Amino acid sequence: MICGQKKEMIAMLLAGGQGSRLGILTQDVAKPAVPFGGKYRIIDFPLSNCTNSGIDTIGVLTQYRPLELNAHIGSGQPWDLDRLYGGVFILPPYMGGKGGEWYSGTANAIYQNMNFIDLYNPQYVLILSGDHVYKMNYDLMLDFHKHKNADCTIAVIKVPWEEASRFGVMNADEDSRIFEFEEKPQEPKSNLASMGVYIFRWKKLKEYLIKDEEDENSDNDFGKNLIPQMLKACEKLYAYEFKGYWKDVGTIASLWEANMDILDPNVPIELDDPPWRIYSRSSNMPPQYIGENAVLSNSSIADGCNVEGKVENSILFPGVTVGKDAVVSNSILMPGVSVSEDALIEYAIVAENARICKSARVGEWKKPEIGKQHREITVIGGSVTIGERAVVPAGTTIDESIIEEVGE
Amino acid sequence: MSILGIVFSYSERENLRELTRLRTIASLPMAGKYRIIDFLISNFVNDGIYDIAVIARDNYHSLMDHLGAGMEWDLIRKRGGLRVLTPYAKSESGRDGLYRGSVEALSNNMHSFRRSMGDLVIMAEASILYSIDFNHLAKTHLNSNADITAVYTKQLNGHPTVPMGVAVMHFNENNRLYDLNINKDDMSAQDVCWSIGVFVIKKSLLMSLVADAMAFGKYDFLEDIIKRLSNRLDIQGYEYKGHLLEVSSVAGYMKANMNFLNANFRNRAFHRPIYTKSKDSVPARYCKGCCVKNSIISDGCRIEGTVINSVISRNVFIGKDSIVKNSVIMQNTEIMQGVSLDNVILDKDVIVRENRQLSGHETYPVVVEKASII
Repeated sequence: MICGQKKEMIAMLLAGGQGSRLGILTQDVAKPAVPFGGKYRIIDFPLSNCTNSGIDTIGVLTQYRPLELNAHIGSGQPWDLDRLYGGVFILPPYMGGKGGEWYSGTANAIYQNMNFIDLYNPQYVLILSGDHVYKMNYDLMLDFHKHKNADCTIAVIKVPWEEASRFGVMNADEDSRIFEFEEKPQEPKSNLASMGVYIFRWKKLKEYLIKDEEDENSDNDFGKNLIPQMLKACEKLYAYEFKGYWKDVGTIASLWEANMDILDPNVPIELDDPPWRIYSRSSNMPPQYIGENAVLSNSSIADGCNVEGKVENSILFPGVTVGKDAVVSNSILMPGVSVSEDALIEYAIVAENARICKSARVGEWKKPEIGKQHREITVIGGSVTIGERAVVPAGTTIDESIIEEVGE
Repeated sequence: MSILGIVFSYSERENLRELTRLRTIASLPMAGKYRIIDFLISNFVNDGIYDIAVIARDNYHSLMDHLGAGMEWDLIRKRGGLRVLTPYAKSESGRDGLYRGSVEALSNNMHSFRRSMGDLVIMAEASILYSIDFNHLAKTHLNSNADITAVYTKQLNGHPTVPMGVAVMHFNENNRLYDLNINKDDMSAQDVCWSIGVFVIKKSLLMSLVADAMAFGKYDFLEDIIKRLSNRLDIQGYEYKGHLLEVSSVAGYMKANMNFLNANFRNRAFHRPIYTKSKDSVPARYCKGCCVKNSIISDGCRIEGTVINSVISRNVFIGKDSIVKNSVIMQNTEIMQGVSLDNVILDKDVIVRENRQLSGHETYPVVVEKASII
């Protein structure tokens, strides 16, 4: 018999999304497994937040290309989540006596795993997504939730008014009680955007999950269906305002920006924070070697790198090599990328194990500089080879190797 | 044939001054993020040997802290795994608890070796750094029908002389050891076979040899077993030809670290993964205006100043206008602004305040003890 130990709160982490707006970066991996911040993957943030908030039982719901994600999470040991009671569990869709089905929506994914949650018989369930970069103490949010005696607490963050229409916006009264929820409104009435972090009273959530499943017209989505249903029934929903750094890294531009935020001392995402460490699986690589001719400026470089060239305003993941006279600027080089002599990389994201050969030019900007904000990001796909002297113009996405030299 | 690895974490003949006052030689930091013992234990694990006993003698706190239960080396195993064997103080012996020699160390821990499922023992010393194929060594030992196989090298690895205190071994034309002496002076002779501290022996034979030696009050494995019994036991030589670092003096320690700045050496030392305790530090940060040349930098560092020809461990801060040259900086040290260091070894947790200048020499580096504030 499986023996669960009663937990006050467990977390369910939705990690099944493709993240299609990241294009070739999520061709082979789920979005939560996309490398971020020099040595991490996006999912390290919610997992580490849980550990640091004292949550030791997490179900990770996977569906889209879970191989790399599964390998990354493993036993959960890097996050201290290999526990006797609880720990981290990968929960893919499964077959049952009457057949099985894929997760049709975020709410359905939780619905299909109600047995898992019941095993721990928690009072509260924390719903997270694996798409965001932020450091948050969920325990403080739980205090708020208990204090308000809420059925559901939704974490919100103030976003600039002009961007509010991109998010799910919460309209709440002065007591933080939510009276209206608008998904991507044309004319937002508030700039409190949902962070996709919910705490539910488990009994209440279960009730609504079952109800939602019975509704054939439902998309089985938290934001679209479940939350509006609860509002309609006048349940107690509260908005918990989070003040800190939070970024949705759903697009190439925002992924690049969020990485660059790490290099900017004025942005409040300090990763070097011993009481709130972000944990990750170790690459087990030797320390980095910086060569005789290297020139470095404002960059983050990880273990296993070997730098002989020039690197500025860039992030180098483990095992990246940069050859002599090569220049890497304002770019993100994911694990195992090799940049040969004299190559140039500007404003680019180069995915895992790509090879940039001698004198190739990636993301070169031919037009006069108008201002950094408008530079388009060049993307080189995983394991792609950019041949000698090949030129990849700024803003393009390359998912197949370019071996031949491309004329000017 | 299953193998038990026995690692001596201490050295009876080192002269590392302040560096080993608070730690045993095996836990001496090396190459930035590692401790010396990481290389040996990773070597065992990379060769599929997951049954390892580490013999600790004194000041082994940092060693225990580093190894923990062996998780990072994949050594939390039900069959085998890592055991750190601390001295077993017997009150009736009336002594201070330190082993009188390697034989007594083996004898006092025999209960643990006996329980191991390994029937062939590879003994090694953590103070020498190399990368050897233990499986080939074991196979060679079994094929030769020798009682003991002793690994030696003729490499000097840049040293002009054979290191002090190592065992120089003499083999006859049949590759059988007939004599052994401990090097007591600067021997510069070429073609000298000196022991790298690795021996292969059947566990049953080791047990009886150790029991026998103890009964006669003989406590040194090299002198009292290898040398004394060389006419009765068939002790075969096995030459190690790869890279090698011998750390028994402060200058040697410095030089050993500097070896890692050489690309060839690095490639050989790291051609298989070397595991170490994870610190979950952030990647190294290089600030505007920093200058780094020919150096090893570990994660968690923040570099604002200049670093040349140096090996920098984890979580080190180097402030603006500071110059660190030809130095080894251990973890969690803080070097403030305008500091100048040349040929210095900074131990852990040291703080060097603004505008301090320290300079040693290649042959005699300045060693700053753990947690000092300058």
